[in-house]
Amino acid sequence: MAVSAVHLESDAFLVCMNHALSTEKEEVMGLCIGEVEVTRIVHIHSVIILRRSDKRKDRVEISPEQLSAASTEAERLADMTGRPMRVVGWYHSHPHITVWPSHVDVRTQAMYQMLDQCFVGLIFSCFIEDKNTKTGRVLYTCFQSVQAQKSSEYERVEIPIHVVPREAIGKVCLESAVELPRILCQEEQDTYRKIHSLAHLDPVTKIHNGSVFTKNLCSQMSAVSGPLLQWLEDRLEQNKHSIVELQQEKEKLLQELAAL
Amino acid sequence: MAASISGYTFSSVCYHSANSNSDHEGFLLGDVRQEETVSISDTQISTAELLQIVEIHNHDPCAQLFSFYDYAGKVSEENLNSILKDRRKKVIGWYRFRRNTQQQMSFREQIIHKQLTQLLGVPDLVFLLFSFISTANSSTHALEYVLFRPNRRYNQRITLSIPNLGNTSQQEYKISSVPNTSLNYAKVVKEHGAEFFDKDGVMKDIRTIFQVYSALQDKVQAVCVEVEQSERVKEKFQEDVNKLKQQIALRKRKTAEEKRLREVQNADSRSTPEENTEPPEASLLSRITFHAPSAPERPSTSPNPPSYTDLLSQDDSLLSSSSPPTSAALLPRPQAVGSPGHPTPGPLGMGLAMGLGLSLGTSPNPVTTPSTPYLGNGDGSSSDSLDRQAAGQEDDDDDEDDEDDDEEDEDSSEYENLVSETTHLQMVSASVLVPGRPAALSPDGDARGSQTT
Repeated sequence: MAVSAVHLESDAFLVCMNHALSTEKEEVMGLCIGEVEVTRIVHIHSVIILRRSDKRKDRVEISPEQLSAASTEAERLADMTGRPMRVVGWYHSHPHITVWPSHVDVRTQAMYQMLDQCFVGLIFSCFIEDKNTKTGRVLYTCFQSVQAQKSSEYERVEIPIHVVPREAIGKVCLESAVELPRILCQEEQDTYRKIHSLAHLDPVTKIHNGSVFTKNLCSQMSAVSGPLLQWLEDRLEQNKHSIVELQQEKEKLLQELAAL
Repeated sequence: MAASISGYTFSSVCYHSANSNSDHEGFLLGDVRQEETVSISDTQISTAELLQIVEIHNHDPCAQLFSFYDYAGKVSEENLNSILKDRRKKVIGWYRFRRNTQQQMSFREQIIHKQLTQLLGVPDLVFLLFSFISTANSSTHALEYVLFRPNRRYNQRITLSIPNLGNTSQQEYKISSVPNTSLNYAKVVKEHGAEFFDKDGVMKDIRTIFQVYSALQDKVQAVCVEVEQSERVKEKFQEDVNKLKQQIALRKRKTAEEKRLREVQNADSRSTPEENTEPPEASLLSRITFHAPSAPERPSTSPNPPSYTDLLSQDDSLLSSSSPPTSAALLPRPQAVGSPGHPTPGPLGMGLAMGLGLSLGTSPNPVTTPSTPYLGNGDGSSSDSLDRQAAGQEDDDDDEDDEDDDEEDEDSSEYENLVSETTHLQMVSASVLVPGRPAALSPDGDARGSQTT
């Protein structure tokens, strides 16, 4: 096995969760940026949210252009943090379905491994509820692919994954988190632009399409932008309180140190 | 009754819980409102049903356990007020995150809940329980959550929904118009429909709504920048506080060591002087240069006796001369009840325990650990596999499921691999904590003894 374990920083984990919980109707996906240590542990520092060009069910694939754009982003992060960062894996969500990767997922993962044997895959399963016990569930798993012995098919290999605590949210993760509304809006604009260019539509149909765009954008604002803004404001409040408390604690400790 | 929580608040609770090396708890702030649904049935003209909706807006995490209650479960109103301050009015419930435990309220949680209900004056106070379990090899983790309203006699569990984008389908765009050859239709629609379009032929609404979206996104960016700055400031202060704590601990140890040295020298000067008068402990401590444990490190905000973290740093320096740990040693172990699944410097610590000669003769593992993590369903039953059938699971995933049952049946023989490469350390004082058990394990024992220790 090329990879022994995956360490996912908790602020990157936060962004993945935000992304996975943003929609229950389709699978979302993104790329993981980080580094592989000599101990063969993949350390994920941040994630990049991606647009899905093929929205068919369970066809979660990354285009070469997206991979290239992500590599550029990784270089930018490397410059910013001074550490050798690169794209080390991908994640996607399984809303309402089991956390285990499908055959397509395993094959896709195998393909990425051909380019980089340390490439890892993460899956977040959410919006699962056990109706009997009214228990909701969110699961996450990490896997790689290996060629099965009996056939030419690929098999899943489980990779241990741990969320590494990080008390403060990194700049990169915050930037990734606020990209989501922008990406959603871009997707909507692109779709609308294609529709709008169709010349043979009568005015009523055009009005209809324009209203669909308005409706979708309103949905995005109330379901994503709004809650995101609220969370950011709450976090700012929490941080302000923490800073005051930490300042007081620091004063106290300085006095204690001076007394010793 | 229905309840909702935003995806961002939910993720934030998960984030705080992941950062915590013990149980984590906090308060839920929000609103309870009533919705009236009117229905008509054959027997009555209209029946109005009142549906209570619990909306969780935000959570207020507690920095430590036992911050507003004591070990007997008695809630202190004073501490509660100092934690909540003016947010007290918005409290509609509280939450708790625990690892490897049952999806039921523990006895202490129940009595705390009763007191909170009274003190906060919220008759239908809710309790959100998060329970975290992992597979034996830590490759898959599950976070289960249940919302209780313990003050009711029936229907104590409520479904918690997470509103999301859901059904914003782009399939609703029409790519062709319904064919119509009526000239009147075309004329009327064109004439009156022109109101909707501006001179470029673009719908006015599009521009307007896009402006709303842009303004909102700009605001999000601006607040994000502020948050980022506050995170850095907070990080800096936390670093300073940690450094000061370390310095204080070091200073205290030095003075204690000097005091011991003086006492020993005094005692020795009375008897025959020997060549090597330094007690082994003092020599060890003086040789070791204090340095912080390497990442992943735990924040020192938990009520941790300082000797544990000091001990780990001693391990690092002592064992640095030995061969670097193999990847097997770095592989995480299935954890004891209440401890997180993250990679603590467990193997090194366990080696230390071996050297201490603590009563660990037969078992290499100082803590009894379940061979399979608890996999209950919350109603007292349990299932064998972590891979319980999720609602709406697709059939083509069934092949993958079989593999899991094998993993779950692994026994704890993995532990034998652990301590092979550790050295034996002789001279540490017996007051050292048994390592391998991360700090501040929740002592929140379940009275029904459901924890699998």
